[in-house]
Amino acid sequence: MSYTLDRKMPPAPADVSGPKPLDGGWGWMVVFGAHISIGFAYSTPKALSIFFKEIQEDLGASYSEIAWISSIMLAVMYAGGPVSSMLVSRFGSRPVVMMGGLMCGVSMVTASFGSSIVYLYLCIGIIGGWGLCFNLNASLTIISKYFLAKRPLANGLAMAGSPVFLCFLAPVNQFLLGHYGWRGSLLILGGMMLNCCVAGALMRPVAQPCDLRACAPPQEVKQTNNTKSSGSCMKNVKTFVDLSFFKDQGFIIYLVGNVMFIFGAYAPIVFLSAYAISLGVEEYSAAYLLSIMGFVDMFVRPGTGLIANSKWIRPRIQYLFSFAMVFNGTFHLLCPLMTTYTLLVAYAVFFGVGFGMVFALIFECLMDLMGSQRFPSAVGLVTIIECFPMLLGPPAAGFLVDVFGDYKYLFFMCGGVITTGGLFLFVMNVYNYNRLDRASRGDDAEQNQNTTENQEQVTPAGCTVGSAAQDDQ
Amino acid sequence: MQGDLTAASPCIQGRRGGRGGETMQQPHRRRDRLTQRTEERTTMTAAWRQLPVLILLILAPCRTVSSKSVDPTTQPLVSIASQPTDTRSVVLQESVDQTTQTLVSIGPQPTDTRTFVLKGDTTFKNVELLNPVNLSLECVWTGSQNKQPSITGYWRKDGAEVQDSRVTVNLKEQQYNLTKVFSIASEENLGNYTCVFGNEFEMYFILGAPQMGEIRDKPIVSYVGDLVVLICKMDEKKPKPNTWTWYKFNGTDREEISAATDPHRYLTINDGWKTKLKVKNVSEADSGLYHCGAVYNISTSMTHVELKVITIMEPLKPFISILIEVIILVAAILIYERSRSKKKEAEANGPNAEPKNAQPQTEDNGGEESSSVRQRKA
Repeated sequence: MSYTLDRKMPPAPADVSGPKPLDGGWGWMVVFGAHISIGFAYSTPKALSIFFKEIQEDLGASYSEIAWISSIMLAVMYAGGPVSSMLVSRFGSRPVVMMGGLMCGVSMVTASFGSSIVYLYLCIGIIGGWGLCFNLNASLTIISKYFLAKRPLANGLAMAGSPVFLCFLAPVNQFLLGHYGWRGSLLILGGMMLNCCVAGALMRPVAQPCDLRACAPPQEVKQTNNTKSSGSCMKNVKTFVDLSFFKDQGFIIYLVGNVMFIFGAYAPIVFLSAYAISLGVEEYSAAYLLSIMGFVDMFVRPGTGLIANSKWIRPRIQYLFSFAMVFNGTFHLLCPLMTTYTLLVAYAVFFGVGFGMVFALIFECLMDLMGSQRFPSAVGLVTIIECFPMLLGPPAAGFLVDVFGDYKYLFFMCGGVITTGGLFLFVMNVYNYNRLDRASRGDDAEQNQNTTENQEQVTPAGCTVGSAAQDDQ
Repeated sequence: MQGDLTAASPCIQGRRGGRGGETMQQPHRRRDRLTQRTEERTTMTAAWRQLPVLILLILAPCRTVSSKSVDPTTQPLVSIASQPTDTRSVVLQESVDQTTQTLVSIGPQPTDTRTFVLKGDTTFKNVELLNPVNLSLECVWTGSQNKQPSITGYWRKDGAEVQDSRVTVNLKEQQYNLTKVFSIASEENLGNYTCVFGNEFEMYFILGAPQMGEIRDKPIVSYVGDLVVLICKMDEKKPKPNTWTWYKFNGTDREEISAATDPHRYLTINDGWKTKLKVKNVSEADSGLYHCGAVYNISTSMTHVELKVITIMEPLKPFISILIEVIILVAAILIYERSRSKKKEAEANGPNAEPKNAQPQTEDNGGEESSSVRQRKA
């Protein structure tokens, strides 16, 4: 783990002292499962929009009422993060993903019998959103448990599920709609989402949730200032007070950069077709731009994972992340210059590249910062905070379009926010790591001592209690 | 209805001149041309295919509800009130690409003659009519390489030559001019009118009622027992239909009027440019093509909507099959895992009875340890 020692990041020892990640073997099946799970999680809200026109005609609702379905689904998916984290920490990933898959399936099946828009909000929006939330969170967690050396690649492959499934679901949904109408399509879509249960079955637990006999002896020895109730280390969950994360500077930096990215990330996708049509491009060709972007995204994510995995980049992965953000933002700023279709296609390609790079790294960087022990709770906290920019971004952009009557201000805003976020991340990371370098060079010897102690205590039990010792540092 | 017409056509011109008995009028002088009267054959072709796609462009040059005209030489037309019905005449300007033009003229008799000119650069023109009218169709051609002083020109309607339409056309100001007045009195008079110059050149006018733009090519899928709403819409920029009718073809070409025959099952709501047909309690027999017609004075323009009624069993079959697949896969994965762990347990307990790892259920222990050793060295 020479690279982590170079970095001198606080969470690194957590990775070392936990159960050894497999980094291969069954891990790739887990990545496949996560791919499916994450794929459904990100693509379903978008793919559902294909049904909206028909649902709108059938139920007699307005377009904005229908569009709320997607928004509620996304909001719940992100906001349910902390709850999902808790469940994952307690029960492990497998039951949570299987539960999530079941909930998604049930939500779609019940929605297919719906006759009012509020009913759809409930079924698809809330129940479906919860199901997807469980899927997303648990899949990311299990990757962090199974991989360390190849984790960026695993993350890239798993996150590639989003564009792959979107490319796959969009035509499938069209086909289903033509043959079965929206009700039958939702029914069948529910069936397809039950495949998340299969994905969950693949997520074999790495270490058992502690049983008391095994954990008790080291537990008693290691009773520290953490307020743990006696016995089960499942209660560790309660010690992860959410607010403790906010003391971590790296986490705050990551959070701010992420919030800025998410705020500007989705609006260009929503408005790209409209912008192209306003320039005189045909409707079909304008829709094609998004397909190009998705297609490029599909390959860029694993590619970025591969690059991030390399010896030179891995220690500096946070810088790659900020570079990706700046890259993405720059092209948004350049978009108003793209006035012909060829230039728009070029923009779509580079947009796909930038978008894919950021999303391949977005959770990898958090894992890198937090380590696999604190990651589950961290990701829950991050997603619930990201809920706000995600819901506010596209309407704010739409507001700009309405006020100025011109799409270029939208792109300027999004590009500006994302580029600023990227630069902020870069600068703050440089500062933060220099600070940590200086601090940890001082207690290098102490750190090594602690590490070996924890390894002895932890390995026999195989419990994920290493975190308790790490909180001290 | 007056108000509706105002809403329908943003450009309204007053109409002057032209009262009964006149065959020749020129209230709007684009060019001074002679018009001829003739009789038309009556056949309908499938020229409905030529949809006036860019009718929006017609309205682009339109500005206000006034007597402004694109062509400064055109005189505005005045209203004629000879019947209690609305008689204001409305003219829309020529489209930018000059392929489509809509004429809305009202008069109880086909006494108003309107001239349409087709120049050499456009090969066809789509003309939408609301009412019976006398149309003067004029073709202008600049000729080929060797311009002969006179050639024979004639008219064809829907492929068949119009009687007494052969004339000798003289080359005047480097142009050949073929004009004829057609009396468009009823639906039979609509169709494809082609002017032919010798054996060399042809141009054609497609006369018809306003066409509906959006034709939904995918069927509306509904389930047995549902209430289905079928919608037909006419572009709001085109004139409003007088009324709407619905037909269902019964396999053979027998038509059925849906509206009033069965009030318990069918309900029609006609709302200007939109019509809705509500079918209650559909059954599989209700599947098929429903034709909606926008009724205008001159004719009815039709389009169709397909309804497909299926039972719940149809989507249920793929759903059940996917469910079975999911259950099989989950069971297979879990059984595989259980069997591997039992195998490992047997191996571990046999030769090596040390309870070093208190994880009898975690199968990958052996694998994990070896790989973890690799990890430490990495």
